[in-house]
Amino acid sequence: MKPWSKTTFGFRQIGCTLAVVLAAAALAAVFFVAPTERTMGPAQKIVYVHVAMAWLALAGFLLVAGASVVYLVRRDLRYDDWALAAAELGWLCCGLTLVTGSLWARAAWGTWWTWDPRLTAAFILWCIYSGYLVLRSNVEAPHQRARVAAVLAVVGALDVPLVVMATRWFRGIHPASPGMEPLMRVVLLLGVLGFTAFFAMLLTRRRAQIRLERLLACLEQQVEAGPPFGAGLLTPPTSRHGMWHGQETVPQRLVPQRSGRPSSIRDPRGSS
Amino acid sequence: MMGTNPAAVEAIGLSKTLGPRPALCDVTLELAEGETVALTGPNGAGKTTLLRCLASVLRPSAGEVRWFGRPARSDPALRRHVGLLAHESLLYPHLTLREDLRFAARMYGVRDAAASADRWLRTIGLESFADRLSSQISRGMRQRVALARALIHRPRIVLLDEPFSALDAEGAAWLAALLGDLRAEGRTVCFATHDPERARTLGDRVVQLRSGRLFEVRDGASPGRAPAAARAA
Amino acid sequence: MAAKLWWVIHKDLVSEWRGRQAWPAMLVLGIAVVLVFSFQMDLLPQQKPALVGGLLWLAVFFAGIFALDRSFAAEREAGCWDGLKLYPVSPSVIYLGKVIVNVATLSALECVLVPLFVALADVPLLERPGDLILIAALGNAGIAAVGTLLSALAAGVRRSGNLTVLLVLPLTIPVVLAAAEATRLMVAGDLGPAWWRWVQLLAAFAVVFTTAGTLLFELAVEE
Repeated sequence: MKPWSKTTFGFRQIGCTLAVVLAAAALAAVFFVAPTERTMGPAQKIVYVHVAMAWLALAGFLLVAGASVVYLVRRDLRYDDWALAAAELGWLCCGLTLVTGSLWARAAWGTWWTWDPRLTAAFILWCIYSGYLVLRSNVEAPHQRARVAAVLAVVGALDVPLVVMATRWFRGIHPASPGMEPLMRVVLLLGVLGFTAFFAMLLTRRRAQIRLERLLACLEQQVEAGPPFGAGLLTPPTSRHGMWHGQETVPQRLVPQRSGRPSSIRDPRGSS
Repeated sequence: MMGTNPAAVEAIGLSKTLGPRPALCDVTLELAEGETVALTGPNGAGKTTLLRCLASVLRPSAGEVRWFGRPARSDPALRRHVGLLAHESLLYPHLTLREDLRFAARMYGVRDAAASADRWLRTIGLESFADRLSSQISRGMRQRVALARALIHRPRIVLLDEPFSALDAEGAAWLAALLGDLRAEGRTVCFATHDPERARTLGDRVVQLRSGRLFEVRDGASPGRAPAAARAA
Repeated sequence: MAAKLWWVIHKDLVSEWRGRQAWPAMLVLGIAVVLVFSFQMDLLPQQKPALVGGLLWLAVFFAGIFALDRSFAAEREAGCWDGLKLYPVSPSVIYLGKVIVNVATLSALECVLVPLFVALADVPLLERPGDLILIAALGNAGIAAVGTLLSALAAGVRRSGNLTVLLVLPLTIPVVLAAAEATRLMVAGDLGPAWWRWVQLLAAFAVVFTTAGTLLFELAVEE
């Protein structure tokens, strides 16, 4: 581990710090700045988190769908990394939407669950997310997994507006959003911003982690494949027509240097 | 020597990853029209993967496959030029042999599909089994039906994955004769086999796959083996 | 093109008739569910008209999913995928063929379940047959479109188990909701704008997912 004093302060560090600060500020605002609501008391403040989580769950799903479409077009596994990271975080946010919504319902109406259209839609979204993650866990080959998950993500994305419409019409009425004081709106906005920044930070960190896991797996396979075909297997084979689709070349500095020349491989085209 | 006509089958820089290991690494291969090429190699070398890529059943991770100069994936209609005998028999468990062949003929757009299917059943000698289900016949017979299915539309390119594996001596002799017929008709054939002797005698050229890489094997060409014959009918 | 579509459908129907794997299980499940629901409804006679829509469509849905799961069973088990991919037909033709077979399956299921429901629970489902057929046709198309695509997706996955069911369930909730509501309104005799809205949702779902399936099928079965 690098000592703290030697950490460079680049874009990434500034971004993370900013995100944490914003999130902390949002939380502080929720607890200290937002006025306590008359009828519900302090429990009403859950709504600040709930709204932010719901927004992030939906945004997460759009990200998964977007990354999936780009993967299907370009077949580059880096986009699949983004899709997985967004799916994991989106699933989490969706779960938290349900939990906070449930807590709010308990405080407001005394029941733990209500088939309110938004909560219902959130529950269905959570089920779709879960299906996506389960499907991914059942496929091992990276490209097959990415492709299959991408198709499911696109289907899910097409489904979401239909789900929203159906659940909204089903109940007939919107639950009346309680009128909010201007100060409450400000805190709500700040909350959404803060949590979004935090989400973005977690997303980039998680995606980097996923990418490293993938490169590590690639490297392990190559080392396993080993001799007798020599050094040709420590870097992915290139073809005349460009890079091996969707696998970044393992950077040379991560590859242990072999001493001596690799054994020569007979040229399939030339005379031997 | 290559004429000015495009080769029947071209694989350019073909790579394919299935699961943890790369099955094919940068394979480049050309099959001239009318040529018969034997593909050898140990188990797990990637022969099935290569044949499936050449048949455009698998999408390569990198590289391209071309048939008569045109990219294989550009148009589904091009597939009528290719026939594949795969590892599994590709027969539907609940269809009779006759129905299976008729279905294949219809999907390939063969004119007069029903008669064609019946004719092929006679050719492979299974006419009396025509109304049996594929689960009710032996593996060797299934192989013959699958072969008929691969050839029913008279493809110019024929790809056979271990065609001799399920056949007895009589069946193998019949198949060897069939390969001779295909060559006489000017069709391009690539067959995978474990037996190097067969590869040498039946193929104009032998290539070998080892761990997904292709090597040319110096062919001990037997005398009297004619070069690439006349164009396909 | 149409001829090849017809032959794909024909092959699947013959295969299923001979194999008899999906339909019996589906019918048994559907009938069992209808029996249970009819019994429950008998205990609440005043609420029958309100409940019948949802219960009927639940029965169809759960039983139908069984059949959908078997859509690509032959291909998955006997390794016939290569066969389909070798033919010089656009993958959309194969997809549409399978969807049509699945719609036929669901329709057959409904032909059994609806009269059974009417007989056991004494609900006026068959009063407006034209409207019921409309709801059923659109609902079947929607479920079949999504189910066939996801079945193809799951067919390539080795340890799939009941994956299709798990994936299809949340995605087709709008269809079940819409069909249930439309049926309830129809039974109550209220064919006004609310009813039309639900029918339009069913139609939108069917159109969106049939189109999506046609475009995505090739990607779903590619290797």
